[in-house]
Amino acid sequence: MKRLETLKVLTSPAVIFVFILFVYMLFVYISMSIPVFQWEGLDIYLKNIWHASENPSEEYYGLAAAIWGSVYTSVIAVFIALPLSIAYSIFVNDYAPARIKNLVIILSDVMAGLPTIIYGIWGAFVLVPFLREWVMLPLYRELSYVPFFSYPPVSGYSYLSAGILLGIMVTPFASAIIREAYGSVPQIYREAAYALGFTKYESTRLIVGLIRPAIISGILLAFGRAIGETVAVSLVIGNTFNISMGLFSPGYTISSLIANQFGNAFIYKHMTSALFAGGLALFVIGTVVNITGLLYLKRWKKNVKF
Amino acid sequence: MRYAIETRNLRISYGKKEVIMGVNFKIPEKVVFALMGPSGCGKSTLLRSFNRLLDLNKDANVSGQVLVFGRNIYSDNVDVMEIRRQVGMVFQYPNPFPHLSIYENIAIGLRLNKMVQTKEELDSRVKWALEKASLLEEVEDRLDDFPSSLSGGQKQRLVIARVLAMKPKILLLDEPTANVDPVGTKNIENLLFELKKEYTIVLVTHEPAQASRISDFVGFIYLGELVESGPTARIFENPQHELTDRYVRGILSIGDKNGRNTN
Amino acid sequence: MLNFRKIKDKLFLTFIFFGAFIALFPLFHIIFTLIIKGMPVIISRGTMFFTGTLSQGGIGPAIVGTFILAFLSSLIGIPIAFLVGLYIYEYPDSKVSEFVRGLLQIMLEFPTILVGVFVMDILVIPMGTYSALAGAFALAIIMMPYVSVYTAEAMRNIPYTYREASFSLGLNCFKTAFRILVPIAKRGIFTGILIAIAKVAGETAPLLFTAGGLYEIYPHGISAPVGAIPLLIYTLIQSPSSTDHATAWGASLVLLLVFIGVFIPIRLSLKEVKL
Repeated sequence: MKRLETLKVLTSPAVIFVFILFVYMLFVYISMSIPVFQWEGLDIYLKNIWHASENPSEEYYGLAAAIWGSVYTSVIAVFIALPLSIAYSIFVNDYAPARIKNLVIILSDVMAGLPTIIYGIWGAFVLVPFLREWVMLPLYRELSYVPFFSYPPVSGYSYLSAGILLGIMVTPFASAIIREAYGSVPQIYREAAYALGFTKYESTRLIVGLIRPAIISGILLAFGRAIGETVAVSLVIGNTFNISMGLFSPGYTISSLIANQFGNAFIYKHMTSALFAGGLALFVIGTVVNITGLLYLKRWKKNVKF
Repeated sequence: MRYAIETRNLRISYGKKEVIMGVNFKIPEKVVFALMGPSGCGKSTLLRSFNRLLDLNKDANVSGQVLVFGRNIYSDNVDVMEIRRQVGMVFQYPNPFPHLSIYENIAIGLRLNKMVQTKEELDSRVKWALEKASLLEEVEDRLDDFPSSLSGGQKQRLVIARVLAMKPKILLLDEPTANVDPVGTKNIENLLFELKKEYTIVLVTHEPAQASRISDFVGFIYLGELVESGPTARIFENPQHELTDRYVRGILSIGDKNGRNTN
Repeated sequence: MLNFRKIKDKLFLTFIFFGAFIALFPLFHIIFTLIIKGMPVIISRGTMFFTGTLSQGGIGPAIVGTFILAFLSSLIGIPIAFLVGLYIYEYPDSKVSEFVRGLLQIMLEFPTILVGVFVMDILVIPMGTYSALAGAFALAIIMMPYVSVYTAEAMRNIPYTYREASFSLGLNCFKTAFRILVPIAKRGIFTGILIAIAKVAGETAPLLFTAGGLYEIYPHGISAPVGAIPLLIYTLIQSPSSTDHATAWGASLVLLLVFIGVFIPIRLSLKEVKL
């Protein structure tokens, strides 16, 4: 049946426009990154160096510190989000009384939609001093032989602060997926566990095991969200070129580097391209992680029909 | 004799699953023809092939012929929308458009199909349709109200009016009283009895008693096949096929002597 | 042995309640902090806070800027996104549709800084200036996937029988969609649009290199720079002046209240929210 429907004719241009927009965006990032690839090859991603200069032949950039920072802080964020979102999901489904349940879900959604700059200002002026005083300094004083705690916490702006702030921010995203998956497991499985004499803890652990793919998906999506976050992170991470495992060390993420350096990048010949290369890396990582998370969830939903 | 609807070796399948298997029957003009059978046997699907509403379902495959007044509606150069105006449909759930007033529910089809030229024509057609559906008296002072203020039976009559406004020749009804209370059901059944003088009516019902009450002809569908069809009285009193016999016995045991309820 | 299991059970219960509490507690602390730190600023500066320019201790231009950006981005983004939403609702099986839906999912979580830098490259540099137009365009790109997904969802929630009824009257796809189905779904669509607007109005990163910021004078044109509340806060936090910090707290409180005031009523009328 080949009929030219008015509706299709009307809506198709919009669809085409969206496609073109995305492809064009990808194209811009690739083409703007090429100059720095030609200038430095893969060093742009592998080296930790940021040598800006009026003399173009002296410029050399490396995003290693930013890439490390992005991954490190997002991993910390996910470490925090994982137990919190699971605990939250179990609470909402199993323990929250009916009236509170809806309220608690709405609160989580508010946290997910809250303007990130609000997290940023709270993070910079409240969370960082608090962490420095009550977590970093004590840990540094007592346990500085542990590699994670070995970097001196000077200002408090650090991977840890960024990681914790991100963890708080992305927990609602993981929670949304996990609580829905947890709630979709039929009661008969829990009843079967009880009938076998399991305690509440043991039967809950069983259910959590049943929804493991959803949890993985939620965590992947949280990771993708964390790695793309810009303003909140850039206000608490210290914006310093460092590569360190020390949690209290300041650092950079790709997004905070772009936010921080892009304004004056046009002065230098190669910096803009270097930053675009960073953006390209973020583009790819973010997209791959998000797609993986979504496909995982989709496949799980399709195969597992309770 | 011209048949309103005739099917020739009609087969319908959803994907690989065959739902209607080679059905042949003939529906005469200006009668009430009931399609009855247990739930899930394809009656609704079959009905939707008569106005090509089945096209909406992309998984459905139709082969064979469906002839409406002698013309195969599944042949290539057919104007589907014209067919749907000629073969109107009433649904299981009374579904007047909730965002339109009673008046507008009937007017919108006329307007969008450009079936009337002036406001006066529109007005008179709307009122005519409501009158024909035995609803005008009950709503004429509140035509601007929304259908939500109507009872189930009234909603269904509004739907009938909406269809009648299109001046169709055939009415298809898919279990029209399934979600209507007994009083409303009675009203609709009486209405159908009246309407059959001018329209051919095909009625899907899962209630054999309803078929015996108001239909002239009956077709018994079981598992996608037309088991038996013929005049209602004969089918109920003297079924040829054992399956039919078992099915109609369900109502014979409820105390009616000859299975017909003449109003 | 039984005792050990019981202990695990109790520990588990503690973990659950504690974890859920920790997950939500920051929200309360944030609200609390903003009120404590922001309220005094707003009170001491009075209405000047909302109407004055930055050197007068006010965020007036930023408030106006946020409205302008929200309005412009809606103008640009909503019509296109709405049509895309209709497409994926009406033709869900085509390969194109699957692709688009995947694309929309990607865009929903896309790093917003990358959108901003992209728009800078294609609009700001050619135009030679930061502008409200560029900022709005960046926000529109971010808004579109939300509007599309909410539109398609709202349409899908319409009971199938209305679709059947419309077609059975001989109406075609276009008339069915625009005259029957969209009006039935309009509340859901509208709600989705509001949520999308609320979200982009709070965005900072896309505006960093597009809008430019304008806080001493009120916005004067779409091809001229414009400020926005989130962007202003970001700038103020990084300044060494404590007056600026105070303004930032006040502005954050305003932003919070506006966001919650818009988000919660909308959220209450929806069954679930796309994040």
